[in-house]
Formats: sequence, structure tokens, C-alpha cells
Amino acid sequence: MSIMELNGGSVIAMVGKDCVAIAADMRLGNQALGISSKFERIFPVTDRIYLGLPGLATDVATLRERFRFRVNMYTIKEEREIQPETFAHLVSSTLYEHRFGPYFIEPVMAGISKTPSGAVKPFIAATDLIGCLNFAKDFVVAGTASTKLYGVAEGLWEPDLEPEDLFETISQTLLNATDRDAFSGWGCIVHIITKDKVVTRTLKGRMD
Amino acid sequence: MARRYDSRTTIFSPEGRLYQIEYAMEAISHAGTVLGVLAKDGVVLAAEKKVTGKLLDLSAAKDGGYGGSGEKIYLLNSNVIGGVAGLTADANSLVNYARTAAQRHLLMYNEDIPVELLAQRMCDMKQGYTQFGGLRPFGVSLLYAGYDPHYHFQLYHSDPSGNYSGWKATCIGANNGTAQSLLKQEYKDDIEVKDAIGLVLRTMSKTMDSTTLGSEKLEFAVITLDPTTKEPKAKIYKPAEIDALLQKEGLMKKEEDAEMATA
Amino acid sequence: METSFALTGKGYVIVAADTTSARSIVKMKVDEDKIKTLSPHLLMAYSGEPGDTVQFAEYVERNIRLYQIRNIYPLRPSAAASWIRRSLAESLRSRKPYSVNLLLGGYDTATFDPHLYWIDYLGTISEVPFAAHGYGAYFALSLLDRYHDPSASLEEGLATLKRCIDEVSKRLVVSPGKYKVKIVDKDGVREVEL
Repeated sequence: MSIMELNGGSVIAMVGKDCVAIAADMRLGNQALGISSKFERIFPVTDRIYLGLPGLATDVATLRERFRFRVNMYTIKEEREIQPETFAHLVSSTLYEHRFGPYFIEPVMAGISKTPSGAVKPFIAATDLIGCLNFAKDFVVAGTASTKLYGVAEGLWEPDLEPEDLFETISQTLLNATDRDAFSGWGCIVHIITKDKVVTRTLKGRMD
Repeated sequence: MARRYDSRTTIFSPEGRLYQIEYAMEAISHAGTVLGVLAKDGVVLAAEKKVTGKLLDLSAAKDGGYGGSGEKIYLLNSNVIGGVAGLTADANSLVNYARTAAQRHLLMYNEDIPVELLAQRMCDMKQGYTQFGGLRPFGVSLLYAGYDPHYHFQLYHSDPSGNYSGWKATCIGANNGTAQSLLKQEYKDDIEVKDAIGLVLRTMSKTMDSTTLGSEKLEFAVITLDPTTKEPKAKIYKPAEIDALLQKEGLMKKEEDAEMATA
Repeated sequence: METSFALTGKGYVIVAADTTSARSIVKMKVDEDKIKTLSPHLLMAYSGEPGDTVQFAEYVERNIRLYQIRNIYPLRPSAAASWIRRSLAESLRSRKPYSVNLLLGGYDTATFDPHLYWIDYLGTISEVPFAAHGYGAYFALSLLDRYHDPSASLEEGLATLKRCIDEVSKRLVVSPGKYKVKIVDKDGVREVEL
């Protein structure tokens, strides 16, 4: 049995019109045994960047703490917030540092970045467990339900969705995909990130 | 006589003194003053800048960042502000160490580093430089103003020897004796932040070398507690905010006033 | 074989662990205490690889006590949990990792509430209302899903714990005989007889 499937869990991020969404399930398990239905695997990095960490739960905590360390140092020295693209490269290089003894996580990032002209640009990215970056234009998925997430997302996603519609799309994608996966589910959380605010909602789904 | 015992820090003199440390303190006594006052609902720090001039590019301090020109007052962690007096390059190195130490504590314990613990970490490092390695000590004294849930607001002072102590009000750098006696007279135990701000600015205006008191020569910071979130709020004032504060306190001295007095 | 349970209630955490120390088919000892008191308001039940368990538990106990002595005030349960987790996470990628599972129950004297953490040997941590380690978990967790009440009184909490213990005794092939039960609340740590 793969180490990536020990604890279970999945994350998805999608691009909309001047907004992004990132969502994950909330199951923490030990193989077939469910331990907690409130396990958070999406964390805010800055006001406008969110990081999802599916994979081995101990590395979820370790990576979250390490990134917090590095981003805090960046912020306090640079005296400004880190940009999404820069953060994606920070994630990639941190993971590659452990190329031959990797963290068992496939991070997913979602954020709003500012162009030089001051406009907003939605941003999503994902990496594999050794830091290979993927800057998709539509959606990125990771976790035990990743194959199912690909399928549903491909069917439901369309470009330029408004925040409310993006919320519906990503929620349906996550709920239906995790329902088919034994190791994901037990609660869902969705964050919709726009220029002005971040709205977080928990979904009512099947708790089996 | 003293010359024989000051070429290496790790050596005592026959009188039992470590000259390098004393020389370091001497260097600090020529540096810009840093003043700190502990109030029951916050801590106030103020500092005199020595590096000034029309050609200095301060655009970063004016518009962005955390305020402060990065010469005297620094944000060490979200709950601690540090004020430095002494060799600026040494101070940069120490501030960087403090920031890393605070993050390492966060990594280990998932909580903001308690203020005294940060002072201890710094002092443990500074003491090392007085005992082994054959390296000179840091020519910097620091004031740590911060908040933690255990002991609430605190103010500490550490010097090149690696010693630290907690204070209700203290001063380091040039004219610190004058400032200290002024503070001793005026300080009250249950002082509030708004009165502490006034006390600090008045004391600074009396002890600063320059005739003008304005944002070009002054750095200012306050740490308080946000009433709703109960989280510490560290604020390093931007130049415009310092001028506004001085106006409010009625301490705004202008270059013209000094000229008029001499004419 | 080693089983431990814990549950939170109104202002308390109950931690229980079996008292059997076995090697292969032999019960070496039937009164082993597998719950360490780390600080006046912090309890830790441990299970796993024999040797590793006591070594790690004592390492944690001594370091928590050292922090307390050095820094006057003790670590809050959440900070202690983070430190313990980090120790396990660092041990995981070392030459020989500790193979110890923990249940950490504590009462935060600053915020006046109980906390319970489920920690496994990989350094996985989760704050939970109730938890269990070992084969007994497969029986106890569903009972706790049904009967646990976070605002229950101490007597009700102990009754729920007794349900779990009885179920494990009834259904687990090699079930432990006796359990040690300890409670942590605002008054500190104490042991009770069920």
C-alpha cells in the first residue's frame, strides 16, 4: 500500500473570472479506520494565497510549519507580502531539497496575483512530491481521489465563471469525486478567493 | 597597562575585567539614543537616527513596508519590536538572528516566542562571543519591547556582555544617563500607553543632540493589544505618522525656530 | 494488543490505558502504568514498540519538565503537543525512528478548557473530542461516536469509558484485563478506579 494513501484526502483548485477557488475534504484516516472528520489540509499563506497539502498527514503539518517559517522570514525582511508565483517556486525548491527522501505531499496552490499594471490575475499551481511545478490555466487536482477529480472537473469546468458559479462548480466536483473514493470525504471545505475577500464554506456531504 | 589584555576577548585583565566588552559599551555610548517605556496596556519605543541627510533615499520607509527606516527600530516577530544602539552592521546580524530564533520557536512550539525567551536566546549567543572563538563581541545594545500571554507587556535590555534585565523604563545609547534620570522622576507604575507616548517624546526632545525634533531624526514604535482579537499589534510609525504625533504633543520643533533664536 | 482510550468532557480529559506488559504469548506484568504525567495539567498515554515507548515517553517528560524549570511557566497543552509532534516527525527520518503512538490529554489553565490530541508514530496529529489507539480502537471509536457528549459530567464520561472497556473485553480475542484510568482537570492529575 502506498504511503500517499495511508491517511487519505484530496484537494482541488480552480480558476474563475478574477477569482480562484480551492477545496478539500476533511478526512484523516489510518488506512481504513477514520480518525478525524475535521482535519484541515488547506492553509492561508497570505491574505490572498492558499495552500492545500494532500498526502501523508505528518508531512502536512511539517510542511505547513516550514512554509510558515520561510514566508514569515520573507515578509519580515522584504517588508511586503510574497507573490503567488514566487511562493510556488518556494514550494518547488523546498520539496526538491528532499529529492532523495521526499515529503509525501503533492501541494496545490491558489491565489490572486497583481500584474505590474495593477490588475488582478487569478493563479493556481500544483507540484508533485519532488517539486515539479504545473501552472495550469483551468484546474489542478491532487490526492487519493485525483483521478475522479480530473474526470468531474473536466466535465463541469468552463472558463470565466463568476465567484458564485465557481463555488457551485468546485463543490459539485469535490463532492461527487470524493463520494467515489473510500479514502476521501467525511466533510468538505471550500475557499473562494477574490480581490477583496475570501469566503470559506463547509459543505454538507455524505459522511460515510 | 590595559593594552596587554584587550587583544583577545577571551582574556581577563589582572583586575578581573573583560576590556573588549567595556570597549563595546563605549562604542554604544556614542550611538543614537533608544528609549523604552512600559505601560500597563502597551510598550513604547523611540530612537534617534544618526544617519540622516537630504540625499538619503527613504522612499521605501515612506510608502511601503512596516515603517521605520531600518536603522534603529525593527520588527523581530509579530509580538516583539527591537530597538538597537551601536554598530549598525552588528545590529543587522543580531536582528536577523532574533527573527530566525523567533521563527524556530514557532516551528517547534506553534506559538509566538515569549519575549524573555527571545532576549535569552540573543544573550546566550552574545555571551558565546565573549568566551570562545577569539572573535570580538557585538557592539550593540538592544531593547526588546513585546507581549506574550504569560507575562503580558514586557521591556528588556541586553548588552554586549550577554546580560539582560527587565525594565519599566530605560534608555541606551548617547545621553542615556540624562534620559534615565528624567524617566526616573516622571515614570508612574500604572501609566497608560497614551501618556507613555507623551513621556517618551518629551524625554527624547530633552536628550536628543539635534535642535529639531521631526521624523527625519526620530523613529517611533508602539506595541499594544488588539481589543477584539486579543493578538499583539506591533506598529512602527511611518515618517508622516511621527510628524502628526509630534504635532499632537506640541513638540514639533522647526529649523526656523532655532535660526530665529540665534539671530 | 496495547489499547488506550481518551475522551474529553466538561472541563476534564479522561485517559485510560491497559496495564498488561506482554512479550509474545506471555503476560510479563499486569500492573504496568502506561500513562505519564508530563506536567501538572498534562497526561500522555503511550503504546507501541517495547523499549521505544518508555524511552520516548521519559524523553518527553524530562524535556517538558526542563522547559518548565527554565522558563518558570509550563508549556500549554497545544505547545507541548506541537513540540512532541515535531520530535516524532524529526525522529521519523532519522536512522532509527521511534515507533510510539500517543494520546495527549491536557487542561489549559489560561483558557480553561480541556484538549485531547491523537498522535501517531509518524508525527500525525489531530485534536479530537475522543480517541483510541490499538486494536481496541476498532471497537471503541464507533461506541464513542454514538455515546460521547462533549459537555458530559465526569460520571457520565466515566460511564462512556466503561462501555468501551467492556466492549473490548467482550470482543477482542486477546483483551487486556485491567485498565489504568487517569483524569486531568483544573485541579490537576488524579487516578480513579473504574
